[in-house]
Amino acid sequence: MKNQVPLRLRATGISKSYGAVSALADVNFELRAGEVMALLGENGAGKSTIVKVISGLIAPDHGEITIDGEVAHIASVRASQEAGIAVVQQEFSTVGTMSVAENLVLGQSDAPGWWNPRLLIEQAKPILARVGLEDIDPRRLVDTLSIAEMQLLEIARVLAKDAKIVIFDEPTAALSDAEIVRVLDAVKRLASEGRSVIYVTHRLGEVFEIADRVTIFRNGRSAAPHSVSDLTVDLVVERMIGRELGHLYPPRSQSFGEPILETMGLKVPGIQGEINLAVRRGEILGLTGQLGSGASEILKAISGVADVLAGEVYLDGASVDLRGRRRGIGAGIAYCSPDRKKDGIFSGLSIQRNLSSPWLRRVSLGGFVKRAQETSEATRSASNFAIDTDRLNALVGTLSGGNQQKVAVGKWLGIRPRILLVEEPTRGVDIGARAEIYAQLRRLSDSGVGVIVASSDTNEILGLSDTVVTYYRGRQTANKPVQEWTEPALVREVMHREVQES
Amino acid sequence: MTIIEKTEALTFQDRAGSRRATKMIRDWALPILILMVFLVASVSVPEFYKFETIRAILLATSIIGIIAVGMTAITLSGNLFSLGVSASAVFSGVIYIWVGHSTGSMYIAALAAIAAAVVLGIVQGFIVGLGLNAVIVTLAAGSIIYGVTAIMTKGEVVQAESASLEGFATFQLFGIPLPIYIFILFTALAWFLTEHTLIGRNVHLLGSNRHTARNSGISTMGTTIWAFTAFSLGIGIAGVLQASQMHQIQADNLSGLTMDVVAAVLVGGTAVAGGDGSPIKSAIGALFIATITQVMVLLGIDQGPRYFVLGVVVVVLVIVLHLLRKAGAR
Repeated sequence: MKNQVPLRLRATGISKSYGAVSALADVNFELRAGEVMALLGENGAGKSTIVKVISGLIAPDHGEITIDGEVAHIASVRASQEAGIAVVQQEFSTVGTMSVAENLVLGQSDAPGWWNPRLLIEQAKPILARVGLEDIDPRRLVDTLSIAEMQLLEIARVLAKDAKIVIFDEPTAALSDAEIVRVLDAVKRLASEGRSVIYVTHRLGEVFEIADRVTIFRNGRSAAPHSVSDLTVDLVVERMIGRELGHLYPPRSQSFGEPILETMGLKVPGIQGEINLAVRRGEILGLTGQLGSGASEILKAISGVADVLAGEVYLDGASVDLRGRRRGIGAGIAYCSPDRKKDGIFSGLSIQRNLSSPWLRRVSLGGFVKRAQETSEATRSASNFAIDTDRLNALVGTLSGGNQQKVAVGKWLGIRPRILLVEEPTRGVDIGARAEIYAQLRRLSDSGVGVIVASSDTNEILGLSDTVVTYYRGRQTANKPVQEWTEPALVREVMHREVQES
Repeated sequence: MTIIEKTEALTFQDRAGSRRATKMIRDWALPILILMVFLVASVSVPEFYKFETIRAILLATSIIGIIAVGMTAITLSGNLFSLGVSASAVFSGVIYIWVGHSTGSMYIAALAAIAAAVVLGIVQGFIVGLGLNAVIVTLAAGSIIYGVTAIMTKGEVVQAESASLEGFATFQLFGIPLPIYIFILFTALAWFLTEHTLIGRNVHLLGSNRHTARNSGISTMGTTIWAFTAFSLGIGIAGVLQASQMHQIQADNLSGLTMDVVAAVLVGGTAVAGGDGSPIKSAIGALFIATITQVMVLLGIDQGPRYFVLGVVVVVLVIVLHLLRKAGAR
């Protein structure tokens, strides 16, 4: 080892497989004391898996972790915490109806048994000051804080534990630029105190601002860490995405037909200006942007899930009534939500019951479900989507993420959709199921169904769609055929506008 | 060394097998338990196997069971329980006797009583469909219905003056009273409706995941109202049967019924969270509740200890079922 700075954490030969899918393959990772190490990579590249290994959430199949030169047995979250590792989660662990000071001791192992309000407030002040929340009254309820302040409080909660290694999992995903600055300041302060920081993000701008080194993950493997000073944005993007796409994405169609769906002067909450989009026969339209860019809101509005403020949506030239989801389904509009567990599947019900849920009415006569027809159509949908037809009675909750997603999309085949709206079609889906989902979306598009995909995964958008529309903070920023995009350009368009504008 | 070994030794096939096993236990635990109660009772209770004893158990089962089967629709739809069972059933009983007196027809009286229950059910279903908590709505509704019944009857016993209103309770076929047939028929019908009709299936879907149901175009309001309608049908029928059995009814009657019905649904194995269960399970649950209550009555146990034992048994069973369900979902 030529470097002089001692290693705080070293992980060697970490492997983790789920069945045939390898999430981490012989990954090496290191972290120095007092440095900010950024983890970069596409969705599914392995960055979240390595974070879960280090924080004790999952056990690797092979590999060794040492902390300060000594072997660490991180078999549980508790063991990880005792080893001095703390994680700032994307989801807040604060309790909104309790005060800031109370939240700081909540769940801490050394929390006093009796909460003396004055003592808590005194304890809270220095911790809050360290994350830049010195202006906040510790007696305020967490519910009254802004999202950024809650995120900072989340960091403060971790500081109260006095961790040596702090892991941040996309802490700025839901924040605005001004708020991001405060979080980044807090991160810098942590590093200057000698703590080591692992920083997972999709925003390249932040990396160059705060990170000392970068580890790039791709397909479950890690590259040796690079010093940020040796890198440029283009170099990082190239290393993140450099892989063959050929077999993952199906071939595109050569020509497009008449428009199937058109929006005219559509106005939707959360989007500035009018939305005028069109999907032609044989075309897959890809909408992309970061979390909160507005792409998601557009699909929700067209599907009838969310309200439309003004404007019209035309299907094959006829205006559609979008008040309520049932009318949307009646018009032949299929909609897959981005969070299948929350509102895309019925995890406690069988595959067949899931598949038939949106079109039961169609296979019913006088209120009675024609079971034979239901079974035969569900079987057809399943085989179209490469779902094992022998397991139609298996509960969807017991399936892998990929199979769950196939059910979440496949159930719409039965409404004989004219338009299919899909958000994040492959979030948390293994590579095999991804290819099947892409192939099916393309097949549907070729058969005359209009397909609109909204995804924050730029690689997916480029590989799958024919036309790419980008959104940034509720505004459409570009609408071009896919041939006019390169991946670095698209990544910069959706991630880097802040850099360009400033 | 931190070479962490693979802890997940079970393959998918093994897990599917153990899932099936826990489901078997869940499905058969209660029938076996009922059988055991019968065996124990046949030893400890003299003349337990007399026809009258069994008939009494089944009669008690039918009142609890008809309502529990109806209540299953509410629970399946993800709306927990109605806590206004006692008041609603008594109200229907009062309507039955009153309309019976004024019209002289027990059939018109029964229809009026059931219709009254259904109207009350639809109103509650509508309010719950708006997004209010079912437990609170039905608790309040039960209190209001009790109050109205007490005011209407001035707190006095409503007496059936002629024997003509007893028909539903006294009619027998092969020595078995009509309420038992009605109970079995109602259960079979409820099972058919939940499994084979659009409404029944939507109730299931709504309870399984109301967000997904909404995205799939299923109306929360409509489906919730249907669930409450099914429940109040049970209430209406049970109220009529109760009134014709007792020839009289009073606002304070049936005070333990709500607990018995909720217990029947719970020990039957329908998930409190909704989406998983069956009216048949609740019918078996009702048989269990009625059996242990009746056995304790025959053993001369007082009401206080009876309620205590019943409560403990229900809590233990519900915990075991919950653990089994969690094991089965893994």
